[in-house]
Amino acid sequence: MRVEREIVLPVGPAEAWETLTEASHLQAWFANDVELDVRPGGTGVFRWDDGDVRHAVVEVVEEPDRLVLRWDDDGLVELELHDHPEGTRVLVRETAPEWGLALELRAQLAWTLA
Amino acid sequence: MDARVDAVFEALADPSRRYLVERLASLGESTPTELARELPMTRQAVSKHLDQLEEVGLARGSREGRQTVYHADLRPLRHAADWLERVGGQWDGRLAALCRHVEQRTELERE
Repeated sequence: MRVEREIVLPVGPAEAWETLTEASHLQAWFANDVELDVRPGGTGVFRWDDGDVRHAVVEVVEEPDRLVLRWDDDGLVELELHDHPEGTRVLVRETAPEWGLALELRAQLAWTLA
Repeated sequence: MDARVDAVFEALADPSRRYLVERLASLGESTPTELARELPMTRQAVSKHLDQLEEVGLARGSREGRQTVYHADLRPLRHAADWLERVGGQWDGRLAALCRHVEQRTELERE
């Protein structure tokens, strides 16, 4: 099961890649505080002001076409950049973690919050 | 409960199984014999579909005397819908912010 979205950014692929991979840019749109080591095997930490924190590992880096991150709950985020007459088309795909695992994490979270 | 999301949707791709889940949910519980009366299908065929639904967590069977009574379990669907709504909503918000961010930068550069 996956969610797919796409948008066209009015900039070239190099600039689009920067906004999708550099912490200073990611902090403007993805999360409030971002650390990301953009190398295969590099780690990422995304923090939101509501207290939410998510950890990720970089799986694929193909500058300036494709970036794949794996969340620590096993969900996957793929970002693809394509040329577009008006700039760069960005395709986002997030794939759900395995069902059983997701339920387990939910149960753990409920336990932690209780 | 351990069924994967894909398997849940695959189970529901079949119209007979969709009908069976819906009927079980409306009736609260039923048996293959009762359900077979409503469908152009044998009791054995209904049982086979119910087994498949049970495998992906959409139905639960319990032995009562000589027959198995089935209940619908819609939790796998609820989790799937929750996930799609939550993650889809997150990306809608993030991509809108990304667009604003890129537009602001482009304007600053022009000035």
